[in-house]
Amino acid sequence: MKYVARGLVLAVTGYLSGVALTVIINGNGATDELAVIAGYVLALIGWLAGVGGIEAFGRQWIGKTPKVSESQGWKRYFEFSIDHKVIGIQYGVTLISVLLIGGLSAMIMRIELASPGMGVVDLDDFNKIVSMHGILMVAVAVAGVIGAFGNYVIPIQIGAADMAFPRLNALAYWLLPPVAVGLLGAPFLGAFNAGWTSYAPLSVTNDSGQILFNLAIITFGLVSILGALNILVTVITMRAPGMTWGRLPIFTWAGFATSLLAFTVTQFFAAALVLVTMDRVAGTAFFSPDVGTGLLYEHIFWFYSHPAVYIMVLPGFGVILELVTTFARKPLFAYKAVVAALLSIVGLSVVVWAHHMFTSGMADFLHGPFMILTEAISIPTGIIFLSIIGTLWQGRLWFRTPLIVAFGWLFNFLIGGITGIFLADVATDIHLHDTYFVVAHFHYTIVGGAIFALLAATFYWFPKITGRMYNETAGRIFGIWVTLAFNATFIPLFWAGMNGMNRRVGDYPAAFEGANKFASVSALILGASFLLFVGNLLYSAIRGPKAGPNPWNARTLEWLVESPPSQHNFHSQPRIVGHPYDYGVEGSIHAHFPDEEPHAEEQREEVTV
Amino acid sequence: MRKSWIPVGILWLSYSVLMMFAVANFSWLPAEWSEEAHVVDSAMLLLQYLGAPVMALVLAVMTWSVIGWRDKGATRQDGENIHGHRGIVTGWLIITSLLAIYVVINPGFVGLAEIRGEPSSDHVITLHGQQFAWSVEYENGATALDELVVPADARVRYDVMSADVLHSFWIPAFRIKIDAVPGLTTQAYATATREGSMNDDVNLRIQCAELCGPGHARMALPVRVVSEQEFLTYIDNLKAGG
Repeated sequence: MKYVARGLVLAVTGYLSGVALTVIINGNGATDELAVIAGYVLALIGWLAGVGGIEAFGRQWIGKTPKVSESQGWKRYFEFSIDHKVIGIQYGVTLISVLLIGGLSAMIMRIELASPGMGVVDLDDFNKIVSMHGILMVAVAVAGVIGAFGNYVIPIQIGAADMAFPRLNALAYWLLPPVAVGLLGAPFLGAFNAGWTSYAPLSVTNDSGQILFNLAIITFGLVSILGALNILVTVITMRAPGMTWGRLPIFTWAGFATSLLAFTVTQFFAAALVLVTMDRVAGTAFFSPDVGTGLLYEHIFWFYSHPAVYIMVLPGFGVILELVTTFARKPLFAYKAVVAALLSIVGLSVVVWAHHMFTSGMADFLHGPFMILTEAISIPTGIIFLSIIGTLWQGRLWFRTPLIVAFGWLFNFLIGGITGIFLADVATDIHLHDTYFVVAHFHYTIVGGAIFALLAATFYWFPKITGRMYNETAGRIFGIWVTLAFNATFIPLFWAGMNGMNRRVGDYPAAFEGANKFASVSALILGASFLLFVGNLLYSAIRGPKAGPNPWNARTLEWLVESPPSQHNFHSQPRIVGHPYDYGVEGSIHAHFPDEEPHAEEQREEVTV
Repeated sequence: MRKSWIPVGILWLSYSVLMMFAVANFSWLPAEWSEEAHVVDSAMLLLQYLGAPVMALVLAVMTWSVIGWRDKGATRQDGENIHGHRGIVTGWLIITSLLAIYVVINPGFVGLAEIRGEPSSDHVITLHGQQFAWSVEYENGATALDELVVPADARVRYDVMSADVLHSFWIPAFRIKIDAVPGLTTQAYATATREGSMNDDVNLRIQCAELCGPGHARMALPVRVVSEQEFLTYIDNLKAGG
């Protein structure tokens, strides 16, 4: 904890000196936006230096050997550890905490929306809560699966001892707490009320909390880009001997595809926010109605934010495919087609952004091409579904919690996909755009596609990460509970949107009260399910029965080492000799380890015979 | 391998029929007040019919997963070593591509042409959005702040502008929407088909559909559809009164 404390001290010092400097130079108040920017930047540097940057990087700059945390046990989670497994857990715990905070904000919204008129909050506060909820959840969806399980699992799945750039990996993680602090601190500066989308010019003229939003999200972009770079290089250069691209486990493929996308497009959101920031503090006029163009922000923003949907969902595809093949005890159906589908989604996702803009007033001739490209993305997505169906087909399904949650994912993402067609079609989208239909749709794709995958992945890899088994009964109850409550919450909202209720409103016509009341009650039941989730995991992490190395009888490398894996994952360099999903082939193996006696498996079999 | 086709096929057919029956008999859609609304609703209906068998297929597989493919004795044996099937993958690709192409054409381009295709109009009404109200400007220069009055059976072009931030002009009963963008004039077309007011249907209102600040939720204006004759009288009186 002493490094975190030092980081906090240096961050506060940095913030105060930044503000003081600006106040002295500029003569404006301490909450002047320029002062906030200077304070934030220095606070960020102070924080990174304090939590371990001094030892991990600074020492090298003066010619000494860099040092990183060598601690074991609980301490290492609060230190600058470069072990990808520690970093994965840090991401996981941080982001699940953010998920719970975002969930609480949703509860406030649903309580307010249970009846028309204003009750617990006023209209402006409602918009601020909507905006906070949106951006917190987007952050969880973007970084949840890939940050936690991408970090933890991918290096092991490819047979590597760590990531390609372990210090950079730690640096990327330690940039994440400032993002949370920046966003959650924004209410002290009036919060931000322009939605997570922060469309200009509203985001140029609203309260100063918007500045903290911009700074935090630019920082978050950095987390995403650095993390993506690390995964790309790791997968390209650190695969074990014999781990050809055709033998790469599908979760690793999905993480690789995600990283390609995150590495390429994240800077666009940052660029948009830099322009907004400059309009606010530097007197530029990128988004001024008189000078700039009103649609510029939307184009730059969606150039990131549509691919971002796939940054959220592709790791989810990876998780679900991995789970389905393990629990169906069958090879992944059409593995190569799935890989091709993942990569074509990466390609297509960057050319569909303007389907968010069918009603924006952009030139009409753009409608056709963006509609075609958007509908085209349903083809590779269909291949993912085909693979899931083909893998389940005639399988011997083992309905443990991960598979139950995966089935919830499958149902939700199916609804999300089908309702997506309504929004890809220009005519129907013109009516449905910016209504609760869209709200329901993207909750089905993002909660359904990314958060359910995060939950399924948590149950699946929990025994690997903690070495202990979660409580199966509580897990199954949670899996069914969360799926039913989620659907009960969002199905009525499709109706509300189609029937004339727009989104991001604290008040609405009385005609929509029934659907909203139903959704609100369901949402509270949905929120309550997470008590069971967190309770189960916390209790089981300490008291759960020992899980053993491979409770699922899975074949990928992370299951062939002890739980939790040793510091460098493997005691000797594994050699990959077969496909990871050769279920049903007698005697087939995926990898063997030189330190094991050769043909140990066969010898053991002979003895039993 | 073969034996699963039959139960899954039966489930698929039954789910499809059930869902199509539901689509045909229970309308989710609000009342139509314009020609455009009919176009949008027909597209919505068509997409529901097309979506039904797709959804039914996955649901059938999920159902049979639980009933037929569950490892009942907990034998934990592996399933068959099926890596893929070139014919099935190719067939699936062809079918999904054809579906996508079909949807792009109809309702895609067909609907697009009907909603935004023909730039002609009998009347032009200009809407000015600003935080947090709409003001209406008619072709004779008359203005109103309390309601939008629209002629029935006439094609109206709505010119939409904004004085400050993004807003969006949406009349749910007409199913038309276009953003109000500062610095631009955007356009939408609608032909109202019957007379009525917000007392008849809550969706006869202009609702701001783009988050524009604290008052966004209540940035709405009642819409009243009257005969063309009444409309002309109304705007004349409005001008004389103003």
